[in-house]
Amino acid sequence: MKSLLDRLVSVMNNFSTVVRFTVMNKLRAKSFIISTLVFMLIISVAVNIPYIITLFKGDDADKVKTIGYIQTENSVGSAIGQQLEQYFAAVEGSSLKLKAFSGTGDTLADETVLRKALSEGELHSYIEFGEETASGFPSVVVKSEKLLDFSVASQIESVLQIIRQNNILANAGLTDEQLKQLQSPINVEAVQIKSSSAAGDDKEAKSSAEQGVNMGFIYIVIIFLFMAVMISGQLIASEVTAEKSSRVMEVLITSVSPLTSMFGKITGMFLIVIIQLVSYIGIALININLPHNAEMLANFDIDLSSIDPSVIVFALLYFLLGFFLFATLYAALGSIVSRTEDLGSAIMPMTFISLAGFYIAIFSISTPDSMLVKICSHIPLFSPFVMLLRVGLTDIATWEVFVSLAILVVTIYLAVLLSAKIYRTGVLMYGKRPSFKELRKAMKAYKI
Amino acid sequence: MNPLVVNNVVKHYADKTAVSGVQFEVGKGEIYGLLGANGAGKTTTMRMILGLIYPDQGEIRYNGKAYNKELLKTIGYLPEERGLYPKIKVSEQLIYLAQLKGMSAKDADRSLKNWLERFEVPENYNKRVEELSKGNQQKIQFISAIIHNPQFIIMDEAFSGLDPVNVELLKATVKELRDNGASIVFSTHRMEHVEELCRNITILHRSKEVIKGNVKEIKSKFPKEKVFLQTKSEVQGLERIAGVKDIHRHENGLEIVIANEKVASEILTHALAQSEIEHFQVKEPTLNEIFIRSVGERNE
Repeated sequence: MKSLLDRLVSVMNNFSTVVRFTVMNKLRAKSFIISTLVFMLIISVAVNIPYIITLFKGDDADKVKTIGYIQTENSVGSAIGQQLEQYFAAVEGSSLKLKAFSGTGDTLADETVLRKALSEGELHSYIEFGEETASGFPSVVVKSEKLLDFSVASQIESVLQIIRQNNILANAGLTDEQLKQLQSPINVEAVQIKSSSAAGDDKEAKSSAEQGVNMGFIYIVIIFLFMAVMISGQLIASEVTAEKSSRVMEVLITSVSPLTSMFGKITGMFLIVIIQLVSYIGIALININLPHNAEMLANFDIDLSSIDPSVIVFALLYFLLGFFLFATLYAALGSIVSRTEDLGSAIMPMTFISLAGFYIAIFSISTPDSMLVKICSHIPLFSPFVMLLRVGLTDIATWEVFVSLAILVVTIYLAVLLSAKIYRTGVLMYGKRPSFKELRKAMKAYKI
Repeated sequence: MNPLVVNNVVKHYADKTAVSGVQFEVGKGEIYGLLGANGAGKTTTMRMILGLIYPDQGEIRYNGKAYNKELLKTIGYLPEERGLYPKIKVSEQLIYLAQLKGMSAKDADRSLKNWLERFEVPENYNKRVEELSKGNQQKIQFISAIIHNPQFIIMDEAFSGLDPVNVELLKATVKELRDNGASIVFSTHRMEHVEELCRNITILHRSKEVIKGNVKEIKSKFPKEKVFLQTKSEVQGLERIAGVKDIHRHENGLEIVIANEKVASEILTHALAQSEIEHFQVKEPTLNEIFIRSVGERNE
């Protein structure tokens, strides 16, 4: 009994020694520090981009844009132009203003006048009214030196809709009351409910804003999991290969059992990934909470408390299990390669599998109840990505989540057994990358 | 009972036999030589002793007990090829390796400093391994095998890459470890080291033991077939003595190959008649010669 306890203590000591060594080496490595700092810088910039954009167009955005049009007598276009001018003048704080230029009747001469005004900066753009179309309205062209200024065109478009409607309605003999009713907007509220809950019980229903927050949260977790798997998976594999190619492995396995060293390395790398992710999230949060950004954020109406706590628990669970499964397999793959150059091709399949899971999840985010998602949410290497969608965005029976989790846990158990064997065998095999047949033979020969 | 007993171990890899019936014992305070050409089964034997792979047949006993994980702490291993992290500081990785062997970081640090001092390279403490010369790397490798004061030490080509001065330094250390009671399995291709260090040896050839036993006894079993003769003036007619097979002229004298030991006295009488003798020796076969004969002859 005592010796068993001693044994356990010594395994834990070795485990923590390996973890500490892995973490410290990474933290001390210049490449790690630099890449983390660069990424933090990129995040800081990215978070501030909306604000930076408003800074640059600051004075431009507040300025009222003047749009010119030609006014000639008896043309449909002039009448509509006048109505537009009145409409924008009536709206308080409108960013658009129309200005009439008296026309000569000669279209070309008129346009020359407008272009001159445009080039002198007096006008932002100008409107040309064309022939009357089938809808009883002239065609409208907004000409501007600036490309892709959709906001101006779309504002004009929506105002023109109203003007046309008003023009037609004015002749229909409606009362003001009726007009007001027609113009009042209709709001449709999308609410996600649980079909299992009793009718009328909408306590757990999610409003569209809450769904948005949930979707964002799921999105972030999926991306983080993918990043964690990709970055640390390759790191783990390449560290194992490096230990093997530098033959340090031969010294290591005479000091610590391969299993302890493998899980020590995986755990160490997990801590590193967590440190990285936390610093990324931290820097993002700091930036978001800077006064100028906080103001902007308030407009989005994001309420983090609307995330379902069970979603958070499941997200953490899937993140942990998913990371562990991938990391174990990466370590096994790293152990069968003796040279770093061969590593890329060896871990390629793993990379593809994690990419596939990630893509299925990301591209199904708007259709989280498709058959593809349902099936993939039970396939072990995909489920950490895909099941999160269903947990976060659909009304899924808890037992289904547990089935998927159970499959995942069993797979991890099998993967650990297999990886430990491959690792144990792989670290002693040098030379070209062994085929699975050779690996099996070696396993038998080494009696592992 | 001897601390390390290798009892008739057999190891097959798929259809190939790597080690077939190797048996030896290493006493307390003994250096055991494990010799053999490349691919003879030395590394496999060592790996079995280290517990990295298990024998198909036979067993290995440590202090009378079968292999168990606790033993890891009492074993030191010096692999043939360099086994260090190239990009990590000497101090960091050796303390790490020592900690894995159960030492505290403080003890490991003290022990490392002592050894670096002894090997006359204290400045390497803060250097990365890739910055060191080959000989200095070998010293670090050597320290990594013995820093935790192991009871069993497995050394594969311990002195490779070292200059003669450093070979002497490490040789003295190995002897000291022996005198402190360690059981050492020592493998090398340098027979002069074996003759100096090992009491008993096994020569492996194609997975089998071909010669085994006490170095002195092995040598005495081989006939003395060489005579070294150094005289003041040239001696004529040596080649006419019956039993003289060959004469090699060296700068400092003659090396005469003889059919059997009795011929030696005839050579001496013959030489005394002609000149004054400065040096006469009936030479024992060197281990090198024994090795080449026992391994080479079976090569056909």
